[in-house]
Amino acid sequence: MAHTEWKDAPGLPDFSLLKRLARDQLIFLLEQLPGKKDLFIDADLMSPLDRIANVTILKQHEVDKLYKVELKPIVSSSDQLCFLIRPRIQTVKWISDLVNADKVAGRFRRYKIIFTPQKFYACETVLEEQGVYGDVTTDEWNFYILPLDDDILSLELPEFFRDNFLEGDQRWVTTAGSALRLLQSVYGSFSKVYGIGRCAKMVYESWRELMEDGEQRTRQPEFAKVFLVDRDVDFVTPLCSQVVYEGLVDDLFRIKCGSVEFGPDVTSSDKSIKVMLNSQDKVFSEIRNEHFSNVFGFLSQKAKNLQTAYDKRRGMDIQQMKAFVADELKGLKQEHRLLSLHIGASESMMKKKTKQDFQELLKTEHSLLEGFEIRECITYIEEHINRQVSMIDSLRLLCLLSITENGLLSKDYRSLKAQYLQSYGIEHLLTFANLRQLGLLEEQQAGETLTVMESKVGKLVNDKTVGKLTDAFSSLAKKSNFRALSKRLALVPKSGEEYDLRVPRDMAYVFSGAYIPLSCKLIEQVLERDGWTGMEEVTRMLNGQEFAVTGGSSSSEARSKTDAQRIVLVMFLGGCTFSEISALRFLGKERGCRFIVVTTAITNSSRLLEALLDNSA
Amino acid sequence: MAGILYLMAFVLQKESQKADEYLREIKEQSLLSEAVRQCVEAAGHEHEPETQKTLLRRHFTYRRNDNTHWFTPSLSQLLSLNFPPEQFVSMCRDLRVLNAVRDYTVGIPLTHTQFKQMTVQVLIDRLVYRKLYPLAIEVCRYLKTPEYQGVSRVLKHWACYKVQQKEESDEVIAKAVSVKLADAAGISYSEIATKAYESGRTELAIKLLEFEPRSGEQVPLLLKMKKSPLALSKAIESGDTDLVYTVVMYLKNELNRGDFFMMLRNQPVALSLYKQFCKHQEQDTLKDLFNQDDDHEELGNFYVKASYKDQRLEARVALLQSAVDEYYKAKNDFSAKTTEDEMRLLRFQRKLEEEKGEQLVGFSLHDTMTTLLSVGLHKHAEQLYKDFRVPDKRFWWLKLKALAEKEDWEELEKFGKTKKSPIGYLPFVEVCIKHHNKYEAKKYVSKVTPEQKVKAHLAVGDMEGAAEAAIERRNESEISTVLSRCSATTDHLLMERLNRAKATAVKK
Repeated sequence: MAHTEWKDAPGLPDFSLLKRLARDQLIFLLEQLPGKKDLFIDADLMSPLDRIANVTILKQHEVDKLYKVELKPIVSSSDQLCFLIRPRIQTVKWISDLVNADKVAGRFRRYKIIFTPQKFYACETVLEEQGVYGDVTTDEWNFYILPLDDDILSLELPEFFRDNFLEGDQRWVTTAGSALRLLQSVYGSFSKVYGIGRCAKMVYESWRELMEDGEQRTRQPEFAKVFLVDRDVDFVTPLCSQVVYEGLVDDLFRIKCGSVEFGPDVTSSDKSIKVMLNSQDKVFSEIRNEHFSNVFGFLSQKAKNLQTAYDKRRGMDIQQMKAFVADELKGLKQEHRLLSLHIGASESMMKKKTKQDFQELLKTEHSLLEGFEIRECITYIEEHINRQVSMIDSLRLLCLLSITENGLLSKDYRSLKAQYLQSYGIEHLLTFANLRQLGLLEEQQAGETLTVMESKVGKLVNDKTVGKLTDAFSSLAKKSNFRALSKRLALVPKSGEEYDLRVPRDMAYVFSGAYIPLSCKLIEQVLERDGWTGMEEVTRMLNGQEFAVTGGSSSSEARSKTDAQRIVLVMFLGGCTFSEISALRFLGKERGCRFIVVTTAITNSSRLLEALLDNSA
Repeated sequence: MAGILYLMAFVLQKESQKADEYLREIKEQSLLSEAVRQCVEAAGHEHEPETQKTLLRRHFTYRRNDNTHWFTPSLSQLLSLNFPPEQFVSMCRDLRVLNAVRDYTVGIPLTHTQFKQMTVQVLIDRLVYRKLYPLAIEVCRYLKTPEYQGVSRVLKHWACYKVQQKEESDEVIAKAVSVKLADAAGISYSEIATKAYESGRTELAIKLLEFEPRSGEQVPLLLKMKKSPLALSKAIESGDTDLVYTVVMYLKNELNRGDFFMMLRNQPVALSLYKQFCKHQEQDTLKDLFNQDDDHEELGNFYVKASYKDQRLEARVALLQSAVDEYYKAKNDFSAKTTEDEMRLLRFQRKLEEEKGEQLVGFSLHDTMTTLLSVGLHKHAEQLYKDFRVPDKRFWWLKLKALAEKEDWEELEKFGKTKKSPIGYLPFVEVCIKHHNKYEAKKYVSKVTPEQKVKAHLAVGDMEGAAEAAIERRNESEISTVLSRCSATTDHLLMERLNRAKATAVKK
């Protein structure tokens, strides 16, 4: 079974427009600094930039040399320096130091900082403090959204997750709001907005304010509904091992900005190959949403078909041969190349993933999700830590255990933590502190302590802040309630039933039929009910903060069954995984609608946990 | 042509029969619309309202029942004349505005050309400069200027003027302003407030700012007016982190440290943001902040973090000691003990580094032991194992791996015999196979527990043994596993046996 386009699928809006807009603005900004200039680019902006404007385009606009920002002294002979950066204090500080060093050396240059997607006061303050405010010009490149594929839009802000959920720094909220505003101004307004989570609510507020400020455009909307969801509403899903092809490729090879680098073990040559992974790749687009166990069979079938197509050559006369070479050969060759790459990739996956270890790992995960044989799982995790199998995987299993069990028993918590520290060093004390703060890895304790603290602190501050504080505390005290939620929403299908992965019957197929992603289940339920009614208990367990708002413009005439009515925009604040995207694609197909995923970044278990380690900053 | 028309109108006025003739003449030449256009334009250049009227009206007139009864034609009539009405309508409007400003009380004698040249915007500006606010508003409304550029702008100017009127009290002015501006769109109260502040009326400015819906606009002015606590709470209310940062940074430079900290203390949101800033920029301030709050847990974390940034051992140990003290104060015995262990480990590593020249400092306990074993310092590894209460299982895994890595099979065998392995013997088999030593692997197969026998035999490639074990255990799934590994050509007999055994296992 291949996830090809089904008939009657609503057409998707053309997102390449966003790229064009971004490119035009960038070019405009570069031309603001006429003449030859050197361009310094933040490392994590390199790949996104490449998707918008490649080196040739930059050179056309008088960019002389390109450098990566490394926060080290620079070697540049140019008289004009342009910096294309994310608004981070560290980077701005580095630039200020450069400017000051030039001043000391008596060197005159022109400096221009282009912040993307927006500039922050805090950065300007640094310029001011360092006494270089007058020496540099600053600008904003409103590059909010990078379309990664027909149905995936990314803000490319991986730090959103840590900043917002761990550090309580909400500066990116307005960015997310602006991104929605941009989509709205280009593609029309939405008729209905749903959301859940503290951040989702704030993003919605910020978006609404922006809407009020700007002029209203009434035009036929290209989306019907928007769903905003916070990553911390569902931590279980991103912590599970991914078994859908695209997710697995991401877990193993790390897809970066829509492209992946296959190493020598995949390409069966001595060099690595970079491949773009999107719907343009005909082979990939057919297997990306498939459970891994089907992929190999599919690919070999494909290979056979290809061979048949090649074999047509035999017995052709000259004329036919000419036509064959002209029309088909190129396509076949292309397909051949892609096919051999993906076969290589799945072979390499097979090697890694069919090993005993991986099977046992999956078994443990599934037991945790089901709440089954927890003791055995703990023993397994312990062994995993003791053998130093993988720093991140051990941590992932610990978190999964904690969330599904509503925290670890004190005894287990201490012993596992001690063992982890013995394996990976004491600096992970801080990692554990972070994980606890996010509610990812906790020690079960008598519930009273927090409430006491809350009322104590509450007395110190005024009323308005108390509300915010209570919010903060409630998120601190967050109990995952996973078991209850799972029961309520039927996330874990009854075990024992055979699950045919080739013919998925629900979204659980993305996890081998063991678990329906909570985030996607919520979306399904809310769309079905057209709101949160009847889900009060679920939202209470998820810590509330849900909302559903009807947009002003959706009058009855817009209710007509246009394509737009069947397109739903889902925004993940804090990242989403490929498994979730696959699940949503499946859901869309079932319900005759299409989902467009907007995410702050593509994430997976490793990225999520690496963001919470504390040995880098 | 217009001339004829005008003439005709003139004649008509005099009730002359000749008018019809003129009209017919124009119609014949089918130049009526051109004539009309010219007349409309001509009206624009006329200063005398009466003449304007004549020009505008007469062209579209006709006589009814011999009475001189002049109509301004209706829209449909104009259309029937094939003349676009917009020009006529807008000319009428323009003239009305021009006539209004030409009035002697206003005294702006503008020609229509001048007016077109300078645009409505400028005219409104001029009216505003002359403080003719009501008229300006009337003009805006009449010309349907978009509210944002029109009425709202005039009102804003009015308000800015109003707030400078010294004789009235703050309350009266604030009230008047808010009443007048209540439903005007796009008013920036902060601009008005700025004006008030500039004319020395701070209190009024604050009152006016209350009306400003966008906190982003309130904050900068509040800062300028040195109302920092208010600015801070407004910024926090807005939920815009960036804005809070602005205020915090401003305050940091403006206030002395003590006051600054005090102020942050009352604003937890701002405090947490400032801590974030300090984490990246000013580590020492961060420490002071934690100290002020008696946040021992965080202080402990702070020292731990500082410790692994420091290269020098003495400094690291000292920092860790501070961390230990803080953790104890925070009643976090676990972290304190762990940190103490780390200090012991560091000292141990240092000592060994000096004695044996092996790079060890900074490794985790696990890695330290692995390194020691791999260079053959078994005694020292054992010492760590005992001193740090390392779980048996971990030590066995670790030693097993390290010895196999070194391919020290002799030592491995000895180790395997020291006591009963807490991790079983299957790992021994597997680790040997991993290092391609089937010979050694086979030594451990017999020691493996019955449950793992099949796996062990399979690992060393002993199909017979595996089959034997599986059949003995009458375990269907194990038999199947063995079967799946058999090849039809070589293990034919074995397969038969297995299948038979499987059948009986299933029956049972």
